[in-house]
Amino acid sequence: MQVLRRLSILSIVMALALVSPALAQPFNWQQAKGTQLRVLLNKHPWQAAIEPHLKEFEALTGITLVAEVYPEDQFRAKVLVELTSGSSSIDVFMSMPAQEGLKYMRAGWLQPVDEFLKNPALTAPDYHWNDFLEKTREAMVVEGKLVGPPIQVENTSLMYRKDVFQKYNVKVPTTLDELEAAAKALNGKAMTDDGQPGFGIVARGKRAAATSQFAAYLHAMGSTWIGPNREPMFNNEEGVKALEFYGRMLRTYGPPGSENNHWYEASSIFSQGKAAMYTDANSLFPVIEDAQKSKVVGKVGYALFPRGPKGQYGSTVASWGLAMPKSSKNQKAAWLFMQWATAKEQVLAVQSEKGVLGARESVWKDPKGLTKVPADLRESLTVGSKVGTPLWNPPVVAVAECRDAIGAAIVTSIQGGDVKAAANKAAADVKRIMAETEKK
Amino acid sequence: MSSGTGWSRFVERHPVPVFTFPSVVVVAVLMAFPVLYTLYMSVHSWFASSLTSPAFVGLANFRRAFLDDERFRNALWLTVYFTALATVLQLVLGVALALLLNRPFRGKGLVRSIFLLPMVATPVAIALVWMMMYNPTLGVMNYLVGLVGLGPYNWVSNAAIVVPALAVVDTWEWTPLITLITLAGLATLPLEPYESALIDGASAAQMFWRITLPLLRPTIIVALLFRAIDCLKTFDIIYVMTQGGPGFASETLNVYTFQVGLFYFHIGYASSLLVILFALVLGVSLVLIKVRRGSW
Amino acid sequence: MSGASSWRQDRVSTRTYVLLVALLIPFLFPLGWMLLSSLKTQVQNTAYPPVWIFTPTLGNYREVFQKNPFFTFTMNSLVVAAGSTGLALLLGLPGAYAIARFKRTGIALAILTARMAPGIGYLIPWFILFTKAKLIDTYAALILTHLIVALPLVLWVMIGFFEDVPGDLIEAARIDGCSHWAAFLRVALPLAKPGIVATGILSFIFSWNNFLFSLIIAGFKTRTLPIAVYSFLSYEEINWGGLTAAATIITLPVLVLALFVQKHIVRGLTMGALKG
Repeated sequence: MQVLRRLSILSIVMALALVSPALAQPFNWQQAKGTQLRVLLNKHPWQAAIEPHLKEFEALTGITLVAEVYPEDQFRAKVLVELTSGSSSIDVFMSMPAQEGLKYMRAGWLQPVDEFLKNPALTAPDYHWNDFLEKTREAMVVEGKLVGPPIQVENTSLMYRKDVFQKYNVKVPTTLDELEAAAKALNGKAMTDDGQPGFGIVARGKRAAATSQFAAYLHAMGSTWIGPNREPMFNNEEGVKALEFYGRMLRTYGPPGSENNHWYEASSIFSQGKAAMYTDANSLFPVIEDAQKSKVVGKVGYALFPRGPKGQYGSTVASWGLAMPKSSKNQKAAWLFMQWATAKEQVLAVQSEKGVLGARESVWKDPKGLTKVPADLRESLTVGSKVGTPLWNPPVVAVAECRDAIGAAIVTSIQGGDVKAAANKAAADVKRIMAETEKK
Repeated sequence: MSSGTGWSRFVERHPVPVFTFPSVVVVAVLMAFPVLYTLYMSVHSWFASSLTSPAFVGLANFRRAFLDDERFRNALWLTVYFTALATVLQLVLGVALALLLNRPFRGKGLVRSIFLLPMVATPVAIALVWMMMYNPTLGVMNYLVGLVGLGPYNWVSNAAIVVPALAVVDTWEWTPLITLITLAGLATLPLEPYESALIDGASAAQMFWRITLPLLRPTIIVALLFRAIDCLKTFDIIYVMTQGGPGFASETLNVYTFQVGLFYFHIGYASSLLVILFALVLGVSLVLIKVRRGSW
Repeated sequence: MSGASSWRQDRVSTRTYVLLVALLIPFLFPLGWMLLSSLKTQVQNTAYPPVWIFTPTLGNYREVFQKNPFFTFTMNSLVVAAGSTGLALLLGLPGAYAIARFKRTGIALAILTARMAPGIGYLIPWFILFTKAKLIDTYAALILTHLIVALPLVLWVMIGFFEDVPGDLIEAARIDGCSHWAAFLRVALPLAKPGIVATGILSFIFSWNNFLFSLIIAGFKTRTLPIAVYSFLSYEEINWGGLTAAATIITLPVLVLALFVQKHIVRGLTMGALKG
């Protein structure tokens, strides 16, 4: 009798436990209804893709959005001026923590969102944080605190002209040595629409902008920015080799004036058919596959960045994300926006509509998410995001300043100057900058 | 009638303060806070943050700039180099053009209109168009110099010639100003010196060097003053075209300060650089004003 | 035209005309190239050697207007330029008159120093000021910041024009019992009208072209045209056609304005220099 009663009580309790999630409240998207959010966006394919959908957010939540879009340089300067003045009204802004996260965090400008994420009242049950690629989740964490959700992912990869490689029977490089051999073999060969000769390789050379792409070469050679003792390491033997390699490649097989090329110029040269290879962020593929402006549509292969002499991977993993200023007065509403913008539905939308490389695994597994992305890009992205290093920037506080110091060495290498001396100078500069800006 | 309310009597007695008050006040108010802020920050060290406050460091920023900062010294040199090159080019070209145009001919108004255009065109737009023309592989400049057997050059992508290339843009933009000012000056020159010189049998060249040029001197110096101030502070074209590159080869003081303040977050140090730049501009202006007023 | 220029009144030879045309071409070329490029497709724009003969297309202009709220940009530029010019004239004309009439060159020089300060130094302090005054992203803020360029310009140029007004006329008015203000309003102003037109136009043009202040102080609603052109250089590769179309749209108004009123502008610019 006793046992039966206990069993029945147990079964009732278990039944209730199974039923209760179904009885739980649906997630309340309207909990911040009536708020107005000011969102600052950098001019970027993700921003272009999400903008048409913003009114869906407003309808869902009753929150009004004021979205402001600026080109990157102006965007960064504006965010800085506002946050420094202490009188900012920004609620959400696009951010790459590897670029400014450490500085912003230490300056007290960021509101970590861990608590928001963990709170079931504020985060929808189907948000699935672990659906984001592991390295992108890591990229959004600064000093143990979560800055916000990632909105996309990209690697430094090798983009190459399939037709040119085929025509001249050159093997697609998988190592740095093969990369140089291919550049040498194809430099000066006819490769444009009208049979004009082109360059073996093109890449960024413009000071700070080149640093993020050079990172791949640096890591493939087996070096990195900062050593375990927080001392600059990129001027060690492998680092100098990487610098020499990068400069030599551009100087000998690249376009003249490479030291002034940002991705705008480099991608333009490649998409006009004037280069056989291009190492840069694979998120640039919409630009290269733009039927209206590019002459190499459908002819480009997207490969994993070549490995180094000892087999090291060079691929980097970078992620733009969303961040919330500590000074925001609408933090709950801001989190709702950050969440919505990176929910599976929206990530699928931007990826399938504009080819933005989203950061969610489930979207990559969804056939709809693959419609705009070339198959080999998907493959190299998947591998690259797993083996890649998130250190496309030196892990310091004063990133911009260090990037300029290192960029100067890259420029010297391209110009054919004394690379070892330049590398040592850059390391000394970085050391000084770190000492000045990182006192705890 | 000059009787009336206390106010109108006040205006009668003190016209200068009353008339100039609005301008002076507006300028003072707009400038006061920035000037005080900049001076205050220049003697502090502050790595922009909401958690730390500026720390007083006396003249350390200035000492660092002149003694420890190679990039600053580079910027200072480039500022002077760019300014000197651009102003000399504009001056010579501008005066020469003025002399050439200084005669009656049909369509003079049209010519003057055309001359105005480079000056009034939006600098940012112009900078972008020149960037296009200077492109090493696709730009029309290399095509044009190729026609006379020169080049191709990397123009603003080449550290050795980037400053002259930028000076060319500035010269293109502002030579017309010098020409117009000189033309106006030429129009006011007296006849007698020339008449006596002709009687004495002077050549055209002698008349130019001994009469025209000295008489034009005050006008030319004022033109020089305006252009020098503007060149020292040039920002738009350099920022848009090279951002101070390649490397740091075109990083003038203004561009360097922008980087230090708005991208490196060193507000204190940037402020001290601004003070130095202002001192430079002020110094050059004072020298030119003195030259105009004084020894002649 | 008087003075030394007339003694060389030789007949203008064809050789001089040819020389003149040759000299004008470099000054016109970049502007012409800008216009030509705006009418080419991207393919034509990236061709080398450059394409000189081609069928023009208005596609770039269409794209520029479709993708960007150019009407908003233009309105903003207009409001700010007109506002700062109007305000500068209102505040500056009496000041210039007084300085000219009573020969207070000291104040003039003091105002000139306002022109010497580097613009960057204004950015953060102004941002703080305007945010506290709740003026950020308003026309008022931009107009005020443009004043820092416009006022010294008005003062500097108008001092010269007011000095040209014959002192006897003003004396006569004073003897008739005119107050200082009446003399200014009824005698000096009308006589200096060409100068006012010149200065107004110059001030308008410089405000229209201003880049740095609008870059940082303008918010999203008050963005001006130079910012629009700059934003063509961003995450969309360099679109030469679009860029030059935008550049043409932005410079066209001031170019046309300049052509129509060149006489006044020239007087304004040179006046500031001659009497400086």
